[in-house]
Amino acid sequence: MQPQPAHRSALTARPALPVSGVNGKPPIVVEELSKTYKVADREAGLGAAVKSFFKRKFKEVHAVQRVSFQIDQGEIVGFLGPNGAGKTTTLKMLSGLLYPTSGRASVLGYTPWERRAGYLRSMTLVMGQRNRLAWDVPAADSFLLNKAIYRLSDADYKRSFQELDDLLELGPIIRKPVRNLSLGERMKCELAASLLHRPSVLFLDEPTIGLDVGAQARIRAFLKEYNRRNSATVILTSHYMADVVALCERVIIIHHGMLRYDGGLNELSRRIAPYKIISVHLGGCDDCVLDAYGTVLPGEDETGKKRLQVPADQVPAITARLLAEQPVQDLTIEEPPIEDVIERAFNERAFNE
Amino acid sequence: MNALRIIGAFLRLNVQVALAYRSEAVVQILLNLMWLGWELTSLAIIFANTNELGGWGPAELVALLGVWRLVNTMMSIIVWPNTEKFNQGLRDGSLDYTFLQPANSQFLVSVTRIELWRLWDFVIAVVLIVAGLGMSGRVATPANIATFLALTVSGAAVLYSLWIVMIAVTFWFTRFDNNVTILAALMDAGRFPAQVYPFWLRLLITFVIPIAVATTVPLQGLRGELAWWETAGFLALGVLAVWVSSRLWKAGVRRYSGASS
Repeated sequence: MQPQPAHRSALTARPALPVSGVNGKPPIVVEELSKTYKVADREAGLGAAVKSFFKRKFKEVHAVQRVSFQIDQGEIVGFLGPNGAGKTTTLKMLSGLLYPTSGRASVLGYTPWERRAGYLRSMTLVMGQRNRLAWDVPAADSFLLNKAIYRLSDADYKRSFQELDDLLELGPIIRKPVRNLSLGERMKCELAASLLHRPSVLFLDEPTIGLDVGAQARIRAFLKEYNRRNSATVILTSHYMADVVALCERVIIIHHGMLRYDGGLNELSRRIAPYKIISVHLGGCDDCVLDAYGTVLPGEDETGKKRLQVPADQVPAITARLLAEQPVQDLTIEEPPIEDVIERAFNERAFNE
Repeated sequence: MNALRIIGAFLRLNVQVALAYRSEAVVQILLNLMWLGWELTSLAIIFANTNELGGWGPAELVALLGVWRLVNTMMSIIVWPNTEKFNQGLRDGSLDYTFLQPANSQFLVSVTRIELWRLWDFVIAVVLIVAGLGMSGRVATPANIATFLALTVSGAAVLYSLWIVMIAVTFWFTRFDNNVTILAALMDAGRFPAQVYPFWLRLLITFVIPIAVATTVPLQGLRGELAWWETAGFLALGVLAVWVSSRLWKAGVRRYSGASS
């Protein structure tokens, strides 16, 4: 396969979706967005510290570099990249918290960093590692605060609250002081507080971080349902691939502040990891050598299955050979694990070769 | 009005916190009474040795103590607790959420915490002012009282603005634990009339950290000692301070949005 420059392929790889949103424009349009920080730069040691006290040297950090993309109404897009790739910085610019160094963005027709009240009332930013609820009082009271700040009418608040209560099964947890809640319960309340004003654009920065598998699954199911009911547009970052697989048909990969990929998840694995995994169960042959067919992956499960990594285009031929030459009892062909694909995608060379 | 509804919601939260920490409230009220005892004792010691201090008699200093406590009450109801909340928000990033809410961020950071049980201090302050004036044998005219109230509000506005300036300046620096230390340290200077201090300190507490504007000046208004243009000047200072501080706050927020990561 001939990889193309990521940003170009991103625009051509996706089928044209019906565009809606503001005046026919997609709700999120980002053009050449960049953010550069200045950070003090000095070497370790006392001498360097004294020197930098008198003469500061600054180093420029290009957190986000000329990133462009569009997101249509109702899409849930996964924002992926290793730590420090620029995901959170991008989300902060789109939510209006940070000014970009250059470039443009339009969300629901607004320029986010102008922070117009109309904009702030129609979007939300959820940061999984940060607290918005008051710590010492029940979440229900923080909800009432949000009702006042977002100027929700009694009827709107009630309707919104009931729906969230229903979907998230908040029940009695909103009447306990937030400090007494488990992390999963707290995240439910954080989400409810962030969504009471029914935003149509959601920026979710690791909303499932630190949660156990069950709680993660509940949050995912909730987000999917919220998205379906309100046709909300969602950008989500997560380090849990299960979140991405369950929620996002489309992913955007950012690395070193640059957009590396924008397109479907399946396409990504075809492009980045053009191989499949053949699992075979051989009858009466514990020490058969399968190296001739492909790369044998380390580890086999308790049933004695062996796993072979083979190039995608050779799967039919190799399968045929295996069946003909080996005592195969069972054989399955699987896609490469998504973690593996993403890991390769984060590796810079994946797109440059 | 929506600002009132937001304050109402914050009050609800803070009433609950206050109720959850009842014993702390009791301890604070007792401590405060102890401080009052100490403040009155030190006045008694001073006036055992002299009849006046910078032209002010003992009764007048009791009244000044009342005015000073009035201002201090405002500081302890909103300024100090919200400073703590603000610094914590900067550190853990929860301040980000404040800037993304569709309400004035300066207003939000000013009313998030309200130490309700401190309202009791207002009562003590008013008692001190009334008692001080009574002992001095002065009769305050309604015009004097109106001047006093206006000057107190404007003096409080000046101190509040100074606080906003100090926390806004934090946006330009990375260290933020000491941003209001000088304000807290100089608050104490307001307990005595500005006239007792050496010239340079009087300048400092009138113009740089204008504690005197919120203590000595309103009391002078109550005693009818200020010319109309002085009164007007101090009221104008209050308006100017609020305007300057809100401009600086906005610039600080812009700086935060430009430089933080």
